[in-house]
Amino acid sequence: MRTVKEKIRALLSGREHRMVLALFALVLMTVPLLVGPYAVIVMVDVGLYSIVTMGLILLMGFAGQISLGQGVFFGLGAYMSGIITTRFGLSPWLVLLVAAVAAGAVAIVVGRALVRLRGLIVAGVTLALNLVFCSLVVSLRDLTGGATGLPLIPRLPLGGFAPSNTLFSYYVVWIVAILLLVFSLNLVNSRTGRALKSVNLLAGGSEDTAQVLGVDIIRYKVQVFAVGAIYASIAGSLYAHYTGCIEPGAFGVHFSVLVAIMAIIGGMTSPWGAFLGAGLIVSVNEALREVMPAVVGGSTGAYELIAYGSILVATLLFLPQGLMSIWRRLQPQERFR
Amino acid sequence: MLDLSAILQFFISGVNLGCIYAAIGLGLFVVYGVTGVLNLAQGEFVMLGGMLTVAFYTAGTALVPSLLMAVIIVALVGAMLYRLIIYPARNSSGSTLVFLTLGFAFATEGIALSVWGWEFKSLPSFWGSPNIQLWGATIFGQTPWVVGTTLLLVIGLFFFFGHTIHGKALRACADEPLGARTVGISTDQMALFSFVLAASLGAVVGAVITPLTMTGYGVGMPLTIKGLLAALVGGINRAEGVILGGMALGMAEAISAGLMPSGYHGVIALGILIVVFLSRPRGLLVAPGKV
Repeated sequence: MRTVKEKIRALLSGREHRMVLALFALVLMTVPLLVGPYAVIVMVDVGLYSIVTMGLILLMGFAGQISLGQGVFFGLGAYMSGIITTRFGLSPWLVLLVAAVAAGAVAIVVGRALVRLRGLIVAGVTLALNLVFCSLVVSLRDLTGGATGLPLIPRLPLGGFAPSNTLFSYYVVWIVAILLLVFSLNLVNSRTGRALKSVNLLAGGSEDTAQVLGVDIIRYKVQVFAVGAIYASIAGSLYAHYTGCIEPGAFGVHFSVLVAIMAIIGGMTSPWGAFLGAGLIVSVNEALREVMPAVVGGSTGAYELIAYGSILVATLLFLPQGLMSIWRRLQPQERFR
Repeated sequence: MLDLSAILQFFISGVNLGCIYAAIGLGLFVVYGVTGVLNLAQGEFVMLGGMLTVAFYTAGTALVPSLLMAVIIVALVGAMLYRLIIYPARNSSGSTLVFLTLGFAFATEGIALSVWGWEFKSLPSFWGSPNIQLWGATIFGQTPWVVGTTLLLVIGLFFFFGHTIHGKALRACADEPLGARTVGISTDQMALFSFVLAASLGAVVGAVITPLTMTGYGVGMPLTIKGLLAALVGGINRAEGVILGGMALGMAEAISAGLMPSGYHGVIALGILIVVFLSRPRGLLVAPGKV
């Protein structure tokens, strides 16, 4: 018989992930019954951002690879879903999967070229990819609707009919998010996850040592890059069907940087950090957008930018491991892991 | 369609754009070379330089004092970025430092937006320089100022790095920080100085291009990316490489803008550069023995 204290410790240490996971899922499934419609709308945003951020955490936290270009894959998913469903009338669910596979394939090609570069340079190149993607969308006006956007994207159908309410979107987004969380946690504890940990300085590994021991670094890094792209693409498809209209402005530099900020603030040591980061930034965004211009005046958008910037700087200076590190400090130290 | 005047026109706008990108790339080069920090806030210095000059100018100050005041303020902002944000985290990893400059860039954009609003702002051409007609091509009155300023900055930088004790000290920090410290060069002071230098460079560029391209709170990040790409393609470790990369990007943009249907030129130019870069990841000009 274990004491209560031991039980709590076991929970915190992640040895009973399944319990925490079940609790998390239960809370999320009951939340919409307790809160108002506005909170549900905000939570859909949190869910979408969490999915993209989770992919980036796997990439940055575990493969040690920076990416400031997740918006490109989010946009790829959204536009592929939007274009194919409006033009050819295929099932949105099928297109979602096809788009995810296609985004993964693009990521493998791009990733092969990127992994050979130094980390900082990768940041610059992925940042530039955002500009390329946005101008491409604006240029291919006939296909994408150009700068004005692609309207009339159908809703996700559910057995014959397509519910148009936010509550349905909430459940779809969060069920997908939880499934991807389970996948991420399994990935982290798999052979690939261990190989990545051995590569990553953050987790106490070393690229040189790993390479000497025969870990095929490049292959694992490209794989995780593709996984991150698939996450972003799935979130993009869900977003396209949720809003019904997409425009290039939503997939630019700001989206990509925002996702990176969420990953850093949440903490890149665990996929759980995605929910913390996305939750915090989306709440701050909502609070500032509604409250500040009303109270202080000034342009909408200004205070969000200042807040994102300051939160990012403050996190990196004072809590470099992110919010998840507070959680980690509570758990018992394990040695010789 | 492709007569001499059209070709001349492409060439002129290519040189003009190339100068802008090269000048921004040089700002990145100065900081990266000395401190190893990839400063994603370089474009914000350009934005601030332009916006502050406009602000002083519209408040009734003459052009030269407006520009000088703008440069001084932006130089102080550069010093602040180093002292308050980069210096405390100087022992962190390179990616942490990149994200710090990114956070600073976001905050700067937000502050500019709350102070000056959404509107794009412009200046008249310097001293009302008229447009010049040359064999059927039009040169905007401001273009000679942009090209001339870039030339002056490049000559100044080469003189500074090659022939002054401060410049040589900066190069020493870039080549071998430990050795530089051993012979009594304060690498911290040199790092601070490189940020101030890059910020002033950016501010001058921002003021000079404003009559041509206009300025607004959000112009910084796209300019950073263009300058970064220029620097990467040419080779961020050598000033000549950065200038070459900037010119290549400018020319690619100008030519594809002339030959392609409108809108595609951004894609083509950036696409070409990324492909070139990925096939020659060390840049067109590689410093021997450096990655």
